[in-house]
Amino acid sequence: MSLDDDDMPTTAPIASASADQEDAPTGDEVLEEEIQDFRLFRKDKNISAQTIRKGEKDFESHGTRAQENALEQSRQAMKEVLSYTRVHQTRNLVRGWYFPDWWAEWPEKEDESAAGGNATQGTQEKDKRPFAHMRDRVVILEGSSVSSTYLGRAVTSQPKETLARGKDWLLPEEALYLVERGSLDLWWPTRGLEEIFPPWKPDVKDSEAHPESEPAATSEAEVVGHAVESNTVNEADEYDQGIPLSVQAAYSLLIGNDGERGKVSLQKFQVYSNLKRAGYNILRAPPLTKQCTPQTPSVTLWQWLSSLLPSGSEPQPRPYGPLIQPGLYRSYVPIYRQMVIIPRHKPSAAPSSPWLPEDPFSVHFHIWKAAPKWSKLRHPPPDFYLAVVDAQETGVPTFQEITALVDATPPAPGKPEWTGPGRMYARLKHGHRNALVAVVDHGIINYMRFAEGAFGEELLFERFDSRNAPRSGKGGGRALSSSVIDTGTLDKFSKQPSELCVSGRKVEPKDNNTLDDDP
Amino acid sequence: MASPMADRQVRISRIGGRYLAFDIEDVVYIRRHHGICAILMGTMPQNPTQNIFLGLPIELYAEEARLLIDKKVAYIADEATEHLSQLKTMDPTARSAYLQSLKMQRKTAQLGLEDAKAKSKAQYQRRAQTITASSSDNPNRTKPASSGREDSLFDSQPQQPAPVAKLALPAVTPTTSNVLVASGGSSVSIQVPASYPLYRFLNTRGYYITPGLRFGGDYSVYPGDPFRFHAHYMANSYGWDEKVPMLDLVTSGRLGTAVKKSFLFGSQQPATAIAAESANPGEDVRVFCIEWAGM
Repeated sequence: MSLDDDDMPTTAPIASASADQEDAPTGDEVLEEEIQDFRLFRKDKNISAQTIRKGEKDFESHGTRAQENALEQSRQAMKEVLSYTRVHQTRNLVRGWYFPDWWAEWPEKEDESAAGGNATQGTQEKDKRPFAHMRDRVVILEGSSVSSTYLGRAVTSQPKETLARGKDWLLPEEALYLVERGSLDLWWPTRGLEEIFPPWKPDVKDSEAHPESEPAATSEAEVVGHAVESNTVNEADEYDQGIPLSVQAAYSLLIGNDGERGKVSLQKFQVYSNLKRAGYNILRAPPLTKQCTPQTPSVTLWQWLSSLLPSGSEPQPRPYGPLIQPGLYRSYVPIYRQMVIIPRHKPSAAPSSPWLPEDPFSVHFHIWKAAPKWSKLRHPPPDFYLAVVDAQETGVPTFQEITALVDATPPAPGKPEWTGPGRMYARLKHGHRNALVAVVDHGIINYMRFAEGAFGEELLFERFDSRNAPRSGKGGGRALSSSVIDTGTLDKFSKQPSELCVSGRKVEPKDNNTLDDDP
Repeated sequence: MASPMADRQVRISRIGGRYLAFDIEDVVYIRRHHGICAILMGTMPQNPTQNIFLGLPIELYAEEARLLIDKKVAYIADEATEHLSQLKTMDPTARSAYLQSLKMQRKTAQLGLEDAKAKSKAQYQRRAQTITASSSDNPNRTKPASSGREDSLFDSQPQQPAPVAKLALPAVTPTTSNVLVASGGSSVSIQVPASYPLYRFLNTRGYYITPGLRFGGDYSVYPGDPFRFHAHYMANSYGWDEKVPMLDLVTSGRLGTAVKKSFLFGSQQPATAIAAESANPGEDVRVFCIEWAGM
């Protein structure tokens, strides 16, 4: 799955066609990809995805015993594989406790949100930390685990007496993802947080069964040691503070409706874990507060005006008479220049639309490609901005919705090497800002990329005079006669069109891949 | 076989407005006896870094949940409230029953771990012997020995010796809360999309149905269990008197052909128009298939 157009073939349409054939799965492959032949999974977990994809299927039932047996085996294999129970070996047990209301009253800091929201500059500064979503964090992590580089969040700079100071807290999707992959043992506390994580006192040795009462900076070796210790306490004590929860219970407690504090909707969780499984780093996007305010109306107006006016050197088209002045033309460029009368969308650094994104078409997740130095606190601006929508409940976005969504992302110009006429399609396809939309149909996810296109920036006619002009027969220095167009008929074009480019990933059919909006 | 159950009641968990099932027995049962696959959506703990094989829970369509309820083989449980009330006010008997079942699972897990450990140890020794035996005369023979190694799913880290030989049982995370929460629930009505009659019609005729998003329709329709069969149809549902634009037919027909499916569309006749005697579900649905004619 590639969410990106980095590997996009760019030089020539021919190259693009051939590469597309390799990349884009055909209808059959899309189907094959979804085959879950658990027989193969059972046999060897290291088998490559390619081999699994080649699993054979039939077109209809032919009533043979071989076919029946194969089906029966598949079903058996599925049952066997799915009956697996998650086991935590004592050495690497990571335990989490569900405390849904601990942070309920926590005031989220405004400056944090600004840091996270304006990712281009905010995260560069060292003292600013990404928005924490503390109010939504409901699971406290005992000790530390490898995953805490990527997940969880602690509140820092609290006084020493604070309960469970410096502990990592997980968002519902993070906790559920860890529970599902068997990396977290989630417990329901029957006692208060102050008993499970007793307040830190300088004198007390942790001689009792609360080894995690130390300040947070326990090294991993220590944690392992403690975990072993705590597991050998006798059984009565073991369940004294709480009981372990099942996966079903974890779902029940952590999945909810959109907007519920401390819960995550099932669709968002599905997208989250899908991307995590694929290796992406993903964080909740900070709430959108005043992201669209920085632009001042005067700027917009100025841009709007200047985009309406042709640049100074070109003559204004006359209100009457032929569109192209009669005369002798020795090249195409002056002719086409006179025909440029429809104002085109011009991408700018500030968002050009006055609309604010509305759910579901607003940025829900920030996504990074896997990188060695990535951490939840120190990371570059996101690679992708993602919105999650439900396939059944959501209609095709209106122009307003999608423009607001795309405008909520920072400008993402293409690569610097994409210059020159050969890379025009790369530039057009990449656009100037872009956002991903994950369409979820009951657990099946489609990723689409919406980009702000600027077709007006690509002047095709400038190339017509070169030697390899497409219309070789008529080129050269021959004089061209001009055709007459009545400007009166052009009134209907006077509305300024914006341009959007939509490209789908993993989408059938291919015909959907590009789509021009119709304002 | 684990499903002789004539009167098995499938627990459908309603969580966040969605319908999930967690019990593997339920999943196998509805797949085998009711032609419902639903969508596996959970991360596989055995191999959590891939998206091809997914595990429990399954997410059911509202149509599927409704069908099971209508057939009276399932009940809906509002998991969030049930779990919360059960966990907050847990009486000692329920608690000890839950802990007892946990203990059982932990013992089983312990046995599994020891078994796997012993197996991998034996394998390791066998391999070491083969290597020492063969390296003297023919180094090439080590190769088949190592490739013939069968990895069990369960020994994730077979080679690492346990740090302490304690009696501590490993912790487990059970998949379901069957012991914790009481079975039985309300049979609330389920809001289904307008395409439900078409779904039921196809299901009663033995077709398996998966979401249509893969191919671009309402449903993908399989002639049998998708484990074995390719999808035949890409199905869309329309209203009985709804005007179907010709362009839709062409578009969907072409689309179906492009993904090697036949485009199927159907509709339910309104109840007033037909006699009440054809109460048989699905009798009032008409379907058509469109194929691209290569003239």
